[in-house]
This record gives sequence, structure tokens and C-alpha cells, in this order.
Amino acid sequence: MIRLEVDAFSYDGTEQVLVGPVLQVHPGDHVVVTGASGSGKTTLLRLLAGLTGSDAGAAFTGSITLDDERLDFAGSEQDPRIDAARWSEQVAYVAQGAWGQLSMMSATVGEEIAFGPANRGVPAGQLRARVDAVAESLGLTPLLERDPRRLSGGQLQRTLIAAAMVQRSRVLVLDEPFQGLDDDAAAEVAAALEVLRREGTGIVVSAPILPAPILPAPILPAPMLPAPIPAEAAPRSARVLALAGGRPVFDGSLADARTAGLDRFGIGTMGDPPAIGEAPERPEPAAAGAALLELRNVSFRYPQQHGAPHGTGLRGVGFSVSSGEIIALRGPNGSGKSTLLQHLNGLLRADSGSIAVDGTPIRSQPTGSFAAVVGYLFQDTDQQLFERTVLREVAYGPRSIGRRRPDAERRAAAALDEVGLQAVSQAHPYELGFVQRRLVALASLLATGPRLWALDEPTAGLDAPAREVMAALLRAHARGGGAVVLATHDAAFAETVAHRSLWLDDGRIVTQGGTEHG
Amino acid sequence: MSSFSMPAAESSARRPRRLLLVLGVTLIVATYVFLVILQPTELTGGTGSAAALVSLGGFLGGGALLVAGVLPMLTTSSLVVMPLGIALNIAIGQLAGSLGLQIYLDAIGTVLVAVLAGPAAGAATGAISNAIWGLFNPFALPFAAGAALIGLLAGLAAKYGLFRRLYLAAAAGLVTGAVGGLVAAPVAVFMFGAAGSPGTNAIIAVFRSLGDKLLVAATKQGLLSDSLDKIVVFVLVALILHALPRRAIRQFPFARTR
Amino acid sequence: MPRRRIYNPLTELLTAALLVVLVLVVNRWEVSLAVLLLVVLPAILLSGRARRIGLAIAIVVGPLLISSLLLHGLFFPEGERILLDLGFARVTVEGLAFAAVMGLRTSVFAGVLLTAAMTLDIADLVATMTHCGWNRKLVFIVGSAVGLIPQVALRGEQITRAQQARGLVVGAGLPSRLRALLAVTTPLVIGLLVDASERNHMLEARGFSARVPRTSYRPDSDTPGQRLFRILLTLGVGAFCLTWIVLVVLT
Repeated sequence: MIRLEVDAFSYDGTEQVLVGPVLQVHPGDHVVVTGASGSGKTTLLRLLAGLTGSDAGAAFTGSITLDDERLDFAGSEQDPRIDAARWSEQVAYVAQGAWGQLSMMSATVGEEIAFGPANRGVPAGQLRARVDAVAESLGLTPLLERDPRRLSGGQLQRTLIAAAMVQRSRVLVLDEPFQGLDDDAAAEVAAALEVLRREGTGIVVSAPILPAPILPAPILPAPMLPAPIPAEAAPRSARVLALAGGRPVFDGSLADARTAGLDRFGIGTMGDPPAIGEAPERPEPAAAGAALLELRNVSFRYPQQHGAPHGTGLRGVGFSVSSGEIIALRGPNGSGKSTLLQHLNGLLRADSGSIAVDGTPIRSQPTGSFAAVVGYLFQDTDQQLFERTVLREVAYGPRSIGRRRPDAERRAAAALDEVGLQAVSQAHPYELGFVQRRLVALASLLATGPRLWALDEPTAGLDAPAREVMAALLRAHARGGGAVVLATHDAAFAETVAHRSLWLDDGRIVTQGGTEHG
Repeated sequence: MSSFSMPAAESSARRPRRLLLVLGVTLIVATYVFLVILQPTELTGGTGSAAALVSLGGFLGGGALLVAGVLPMLTTSSLVVMPLGIALNIAIGQLAGSLGLQIYLDAIGTVLVAVLAGPAAGAATGAISNAIWGLFNPFALPFAAGAALIGLLAGLAAKYGLFRRLYLAAAAGLVTGAVGGLVAAPVAVFMFGAAGSPGTNAIIAVFRSLGDKLLVAATKQGLLSDSLDKIVVFVLVALILHALPRRAIRQFPFARTR
Repeated sequence: MPRRRIYNPLTELLTAALLVVLVLVVNRWEVSLAVLLLVVLPAILLSGRARRIGLAIAIVVGPLLISSLLLHGLFFPEGERILLDLGFARVTVEGLAFAAVMGLRTSVFAGVLLTAAMTLDIADLVATMTHCGWNRKLVFIVGSAVGLIPQVALRGEQITRAQQARGLVVGAGLPSRLRALLAVTTPLVIGLLVDASERNHMLEARGFSARVPRTSYRPDSDTPGQRLFRILLTLGVGAFCLTWIVLVVLT
């Protein structure tokens, strides 16, 4: 029903971003566009969504055929300009990054879903009927009166899908819809997509890694329970288009894709461990009781906000980490992993108990004063990038702990070398892709040189090569006498990289032990 | 002709409603002239209630007319950035307070929008910003016309490339602040008896103790503190612009051709 | 807290605005005081959120009253009846009276408008604007700005934490504080602009440029009765003001 043929696509007439991919979608298809960071996935999806970039100086040659209407593009001024409003009635698009897709003027989920038809002047009665229908299929009915800005990740993603699909478009294009979602939320979104597909919608999804296939069982019971299917799953019938450097390298069934050796293009598969060889060796016993991190009986409660506590606290957590160790914090959502991690550099302060980092107890010193000893990687790294080149960005950490500019820049260059970003050191951090931006944040941490690393979901959204870089860096840091505490949902990564796991549930440690027990 | 493509000339932006713009500007200027030159009630005796009414009606009404005149010419790309500027004004105004800064910084969003999307969008952002702020702090309401003026001047400064150099941005901030201070002073005097923050009132007190009339003292204070505030704001915005990725700027035709 | 809505936001706002006009036109401290005690106070007490509104008024008006009292109480060169001469400053009867009258008027102004603003539901206001056929661009700017404010504040907070984790320590001096502000504002602005660019496409795709009148998902809380009330109130206040000015001010 829709067919996209890309001869070539470039931004600013420079490097070709896409060369040669062809993508065809029929009703009820599920197509996964996969490829490592920078392979051109997003550009391909935007073309499907009718965003040819002609207003931003991009050059597209090729054609888009919707039913029997063919639009030809020659990369010139005379090319057709696509009317976004009419195009979206046929092809719905959900881009990356949820906040930019919310109108921000809706107080309820229902209003947000109704935003499109309301703009088109659909009368109130019909408006409600349309919203109710799409909410019903996506399991959003109980959420219609909720504030869209206070939803969980999975609920928000489903709301965005509903808002895009309320026109009953026949094709739904989603750019990395699972990015930043935990397993339960990802399963919830995957189930919603499967419902739409069974209703006849053609689904196109991009992902940095290959999904696992869904078992052909009935899914999406009325009250959405955490579905017993693998997260980020795709139906068995799914097709895969793999890209590498903007060129198509594979086009076929999901089953064939899993055995096609796509890892040589940096495309991994859900649930695979990072390919870095043997299991971790036990660290050398630390020098006479010198624990790098020591927590004793730490308890913490979030202050009440508007009557409801806004997160799980901690209840009597105690453990220690010696140098050379990598510890994984694991457990379900809301078990207190992030809360615990934020205590390690003073972002949160314990109500009772004690925390000592490298022998220094955390009391009332400003958070910034721990940056030289504890490096923290946030789950959302974009919140810290603010310099105009990658090099300056990475040099900010060492500068702010008091190093002089030449020294800081030398360390920054070395760190960029280690994460493999030396080539883009003069680029603007925001000109890079998601994976590279995360590596910039990691390089920033390396350049500052703290002995203890606290990493929140370090592998979320990474492609296979970046995940391997991460694993290798963690091991090297531990071997060099540092220590790492990471909160993660990535079981395969934790089991390959960490020496032991601490399992948290409801703010307390329930199991300690080697990863082999997990 | 395909049913999905559209003619190249079509665009959501249209011409401004000139009559409304002219009326709005006239009303604001007339109000200012009335307040400053005629000084309806000298403040030594009464409390100038007629002046309060006129300043409220004239400046608010003038601001509303300006916004109504500008609305049709706003493209979607300026439209999406205006709420952001308004939210920044209010949020950074509060953040500046929590960081313990001595200046308001509550025009950063207005100036940013003006630089990215042009003088018209800047003026509208300033006026609407104060109107919305009025819902949390009614004292912001009568200053809507002054805020619109700041957005307009910042946009003009950007049009002539003054944000490309820090010292030029600082100079533009000085001028804008001075004009803004001049316009704000009579509002502060006639509406609220020049009451403001302890800091600004201390400056007024100094001039008053030297024997200045209230309007003169408030005007001098406005010239001083608003200029300082706008110099800082303009320089901050120039620094932020400098750090923006090209991708973020490319979406604004006004900033692209600047 | 769920609260049954009785009045349309436009009715509330218009009533408040006309009350302010009335107080300014009459310009008697007795009237200002009466409005404060007989209208604003009961409205606050009956609003169901008396503490929040009272606190907000105190925070907004309090500092202004104090600094006004200090300014005019101590420095009023036009004052002749001197109560206390401190050398650098003189406490005068005229200055104190000016501060009192201005303070009262300021309190009425803020009290009336804040009470109205804090009892109305902003989402309802935005819906009403749509139902009344206001320009959709204006409705979007207002609605979206109000929705973004808490989001921007929250993001600013998160960015501050992220920068602190990288070693940002806010010093005491103005330059250090401005540098901290820049380190927080720049990623904030970049992030918001990236969102805005995406929102730009989203608005186009969702048919925001359509020329037909917009509709609203929320039901209209306006009634013919309230519409009539608003017209009558406006006419009434207008007529009263004209009469007052002709009879009292000009004679």
C-alpha cells in the first residue's frame, strides 16, 4: 500500500545518509528497520512520514507511492511538497522523544488524543466517539482523564500512538518506540502495536537491535497485565530491513535475520550478552579493608508531594564495594535502584545510616564536591550536554574539578579516543545520534577520572558496538583499581560484566550474591 | 496535481492586521504621553486613581491590540517556540530567585524568541507572557506593554545582527533596558505607588531623599536596574545562541537568514 | 482535590476585572476596604482552598506592602507634618497616609485578581476560549505555555542535579552564579528547542493549519444565563462609572 524507493538522500548536500533502500508496507505488515547508530533509520522513517526535509535544505531523490499515487523527487525546487495534514491521515508517525509530540495544552489524555480531529473541526460528539474507540483498542480507556505529563513511559508512548492513530491511518511509523522503556513498559507498547496490526494497520518500527519474536498467543487482556512476552518483541511474521551506513544490507524475515550474521554490521539481538569474551575474573583482594564505598543501614524516604510519595525510598540498605569490583543493582521498577544510586554522590541524602566514599563520609558537602571521586551517568544524558563542541563538553568535567584547560582538554581527547569518538570531537554534541551522545557523557566521566562510577541503566538504548565499548570500559576501570555500581535491567549485560548482583525489592536488599545465582 | 502535495506558495503565515498594530502602538504611546506629560493628578495630594485606570487600560489594551495584530503573521515554527519562551520567562525568573541572583532575568524567554523568530513574535511573547504571569502574580499584568516593547526591540537588534558580538548584544541590552525602564516607571508609580522589591525601592529611596518627585525617582531607578538586567539577559541569550546546534536554529527562517 | 465547578472562567475573570475598575473609579479608601472585607475575604473562605489562596496573596502582596511602607513612610519629601526626623529620613503623616491608601488599593487589586485566577481551572479557561471561537494560535500559545511551565521548572531542576554531579558548585559571587545559570539554561533551551522542532511537525500533521473553526473535547461550561450576566454586568459597571465620573469627579 505504501512503497518508498530512496535513490539517495543527503542533508545540506554533503554526505549521503541513505543510498538505495526500498521499503514496501502492506496492511497487517510488521516491518522492523534496524541498524546501528548512524545507519539512517530515522531518515528512512521520516521519509515514510512524508518529511522530505525540503524546507531544511535536504536533497531527496527517489519516489514515494501511496496506493496508486506516485510522488517523484529529483532533489530540486520543483519537487512536490507534501501536505503533512493530509499525509498523516494515511500514514501516522510517532517520532523519538515523547515531549516534543505532546501539544502541552491538554490537561487530560483524552484531550491530547482529540487534538488532531479537534483542529480539523470534528464536532464534539464525533470527537468523543473517535477518542473512545482508539482508546479502547490501545487499552487507554482507564487513563482518559489522567494528565498526559504524569504518565509512565509505556502509558505515554501508547497515548502518543493513539493521538497519531485517531485518524485511523493505515500505516503507523514509529522511530525507536522502545527507547528508554523498561521491560514491562516495552511489552505493553509491543502488545498495543500487535492489536493495531491485527486490525490491519501496517506497522513500521525502527530499533538498534533485532527484536525477539512474539509467541502466537492471544495478547492484551482488557486490564493490561505485564504480558508474558519478551519486551520489544515483534510478531513471527515480521520482516526486517537492516541498514548499515545508509545502505540496505538485509531484507527478509525475522527468523532469517537472526541467523544472517548481522552482528558484523553492529546489529545485535535482544538478550544477547555483549561479545567481550570470558566471564569476569574475581578482583584482587583489596588492600587491608579499604572499601571504596561503604553503606551502613541507609534509610531514606521521599518527601510527600501533594499527598502522595513520589518514589520508593530505602529501608536499611548496607553493603560495601572494594576497589576492582563491579556491582549490579537489579530488581523490578520502583524497587529503589536509582534512589540508591543517587545516594552515592550526594544527589540524595540519607535520613539515617551512613555512607562513606573512599573513606570520606557524605554529610552536608555540596554534591559537586564529590565529582572528583564519584562519577555519575544519568539515564537521560541529554540533560547535561551544553557546550558547543564535544571536546569542550568532555573537558567540562575535569575543568570543574579544578584542572587547567590544556590538561583538561588533553584528558578529554584521551577519553574520546577510548570511547571511539575522536573523529567527532569538534562536532556539536546535539548533532550526534542518541548512542554517540551517551558515549560523550561516558567520556566526560572518564576524563574527570573518578575512582567510583555510579551508572544508571548504562546500556539502555545502546546498539551492540556501543554496548561492547561500555562493557570493555567497565572491566578496564575495575582492573585499574576503580569500582563500578550500575543499576540495570539488562540481565545479559549484568551477568557478563558484574562480579555480583544486589537484588532490591521495595527499598531493601533481598539477595546478595554472584551473578551466576541471578 | 497530487492530492498529497501542496502548492509551494502556500504557507500558514499571512500579513499582519496593520490597523490593529497601528491602534495598539498609538494607544500605548498616548497612554505614556498622558501619564508623563499631563501627570493627571500630582501625587503629593491624591493617589492618582484616574492615572491608574488609564495606565491599566491603555497599556493592557494596547498590548492586546498588538497581539491581535501580530497573530496572523505567526508561522507554526514561531508558534511552537513562543510558549517555550513564556515558560522560560516564568521558570527562569523563579530559578534566578532560588540561585539568589539580584536581578530578575524574567525576559530571557522573550529575548530568545525575538532572536529566533523575529520582532513580531518577540513582542507577542512579551505581552502574552505578562498576561499569563498575571494569573500567578497580578502585579505583572500592567507591565504587558513594556514586555512587548522589550521583545520588539530585541527582535530588531537581532535583525541587524547585534547578537553576533557580545559587546553589541550588551549595548543593545542597555538601550532596550533603558527604554523598558522608562515605560515601566509610570505604571509602577500610578498603579502601585512605586512599590517593588526591597532592592529597587532602596534605590528609589535614595533619589527621594535627594528631593526627587516620585515619578522622577522611579524613572531613574528603572533606567538603572532595567538596563543592568537587560544587559545581563542579552549577553546570556547571545551566549546560549552561540552554544545552540545549527539543527536547532535551522527551523527558524528568521534566525537562518540573520 | 475535585471541586464542583459552578462558574465559567470567563465569568469569574470578567467579574474580577470589573471589580478592579469599580474600585479604581470610585477611589475611596472606604470602598477599597469594603470590597476587601465583604467580597474578597468571603470569596477566599468559600473557595475550598482558602489556605492556598491566602498564602499566595500574602507572598505576593506582603513584601510589596512592607517596602512601600518603608519607602513612603521614611522618604516623602513633599510631606510637611513631620512625626520623626532621623536626619537622612523623615517620617511624615502624608507619607504614611500615601503608603496606607496605595497599600489598600494594591491589596484589593491583587486580592481580587488572584482569588479569581486561583479558583478557576486553567484547562477549562483554554477550552472556553476554543468554544468562544478565539484565534486558535492564541489558544495554543496560552494553553501550551501554561502546560510547559511546570515541565520547564522540573527539567531545570533535573539539569541542575546533573551538572552538580559533574562538579558544578554554585559559589557566592554574581559571576559564579551567572555561570551556573548558563550551565543549566543552555541544555534546558536546547532540549526545549529540539522538542519544539518536533512539535512543529506534529502540529502540521495534526492539521493545526486547518482553516475551519476548532472544536473542543471538553464540554462547554458556559451557559446562556452566564453570557447574559456578563453583558449586564459590563453594561451596569460601565453606566455606573460614567455617572460617577460626571457627577462626582467633574463637579
